[in-house]
Amino acid sequence: MGDRPGFDVVRRFRRSRNAVLGGTIVSAVVLVALFARFLAPYSVEDTDLLAVWGPPSLAHPLGTDNLGRDTLSRLIVGAQVSLLIALSVLAITLTVGVTFGMLAGYRGGLVDAAVMRVVDVIFAFPELIFAVLLATVLGTGTRTVVAALAVVWWPGIARLTRSLVLSLRTALFIDAAVTSGTPRRTIMLRHLLPNVVAPIITRASIGVGFLVTAEATLSFLGIGVQEPTPSWGGMIRDGLSALRTEPQLALFASLALGITIIGFNLLGDGLRDLLDPRARDR
Amino acid sequence: MLGYALRRLFGLVPVLFVVVALAFVANRLTPGDPVLMMLGTRAGDEALAANLRHQYGLDRPLWQQFVAYVGGVLRGDFGLSYRFVGTPVVEVIKDGLAVSPILAIAALALAIPLGVAVGTFAALRRNSWIDLGLIVVLVAGISVPNFAMAAFLVYLVSLKLGWLPVAGWGTLRHAVLPVLLLAIPPSAYLARLARTYMLEVLQQDYVRTARAKGLRPRLVIYRHALRNTVVPLLTTIGILFGGLLSGTFVVETIFNLPGLGSLAIQAIFARDYPVTLAIVVLFTVFYAGINLAVDLVYGWVDPRIRLGRREA
Repeated sequence: MGDRPGFDVVRRFRRSRNAVLGGTIVSAVVLVALFARFLAPYSVEDTDLLAVWGPPSLAHPLGTDNLGRDTLSRLIVGAQVSLLIALSVLAITLTVGVTFGMLAGYRGGLVDAAVMRVVDVIFAFPELIFAVLLATVLGTGTRTVVAALAVVWWPGIARLTRSLVLSLRTALFIDAAVTSGTPRRTIMLRHLLPNVVAPIITRASIGVGFLVTAEATLSFLGIGVQEPTPSWGGMIRDGLSALRTEPQLALFASLALGITIIGFNLLGDGLRDLLDPRARDR
Repeated sequence: MLGYALRRLFGLVPVLFVVVALAFVANRLTPGDPVLMMLGTRAGDEALAANLRHQYGLDRPLWQQFVAYVGGVLRGDFGLSYRFVGTPVVEVIKDGLAVSPILAIAALALAIPLGVAVGTFAALRRNSWIDLGLIVVLVAGISVPNFAMAAFLVYLVSLKLGWLPVAGWGTLRHAVLPVLLLAIPPSAYLARLARTYMLEVLQQDYVRTARAKGLRPRLVIYRHALRNTVVPLLTTIGILFGGLLSGTFVVETIFNLPGLGSLAIQAIFARDYPVTLAIVVLFTVFYAGINLAVDLVYGWVDPRIRLGRREA
């Protein structure tokens, strides 16, 4: 919208300011997660039944939970747990999604049809419901969370890869490679992959915020990360059941999760704007 | 239009068949012998075991079980519960059927006007401090999971102010907080979209014409701009409904509501697989149905979209 150039500057400034704010929050969470074991003042599994539901104090800045465990330490290690799950899911979905997306886009025909039907079936489930289905088979736990999120997440990556490959298939350098008798595998790995990988990785990292949310939701429902491993979702659930008398656990854990998610989304929006100038007004 | 509707309906059949088949396979893959679990302390009672095996159809070949399951689902019969031995799954989830869809629909009914109103309000004050502030609130509303918001909302409204009950189900007052929590993410999402669309529409020639001929600004918005803002929002309702169905899991857990979501979670812990899988199938069918309905309504509301007719 070029009719009011003055406002355009205002908007860009606001956009970048939001992205900077998001980036700061995300970097802080990542640093905390990286050095969690050094930063956490207490062990996350040490219970102290004499200090159950302790209020915030000098020894325990954010108080203690129903088993007397230090809330601050559990939030710090919870950040690590959460990000590790998100990164594992990201690694799996990128491998699976890019492989099948490239096969579907480049080979076409039956391979394409088969991959896209599988994608359709997974998209037919409302969010989370596939995770519930998987939790019935695999049981609850971290393994289930990673598997469920990976299953739900790879179709999006595969679709994106497929569309990128389709747009490249008629490019001159691919024709040249085909004409000079390059094997199909080499074309895919040497010629196509380097050209699709950058946009895919950036788009996928924008989704890390959603992965963190999804993990927290599954853990909140009790089918995700299990005790004694700390997870923000599980802490919020423990805290909510004691909200009437001991609100601090639910409030601090919700605050940690909320701020982190907002950070990821602000950064994601900023990245999206940077990558896709047409969507800048959205 | 009718042809398109029918074609879409038939297009759903294979997908839903695969969903039901997946549910059946999932049930077979679950660890442990359901009959052993049902026997409980009477393990070793061979006669009872054989009886249960027969009652649950587990003595039949797998393919017969599959045909029976698919046939049952088509008639709205999801077999028998493992936890409440001999009770049909439908009996177990019957009460939940009256909770979750109502929650989701009420939240959507609240979210659409609220989202459009907030989005329009922000668009008309574009780049003011109110607009900038609202955008941050909307990002929070879209992204922060509702169980994290629940802590603050319940703490403030129920515990500090004492306005509404903390948990439970039965009266209208019990439904206020769950519906509100469910409605926050879709409202914020719709508001952000409505703001964008409204800003686009306000640039259009027909809006300028309406203004130029001296129509009151309020009428320009209501009569000309709003209509073209709302129609594109309809397409997102299908996706939002999927989010709402998942949201009922969370909200029912928070407030201890007897809905399908909390039933599914309880059934996972009780290893009552037929109940969980019935709910998974039901939610997927709801979701597919709403998406189909939205597409059909969209073509009807906006005559510019010619569904199913190929452009030359």
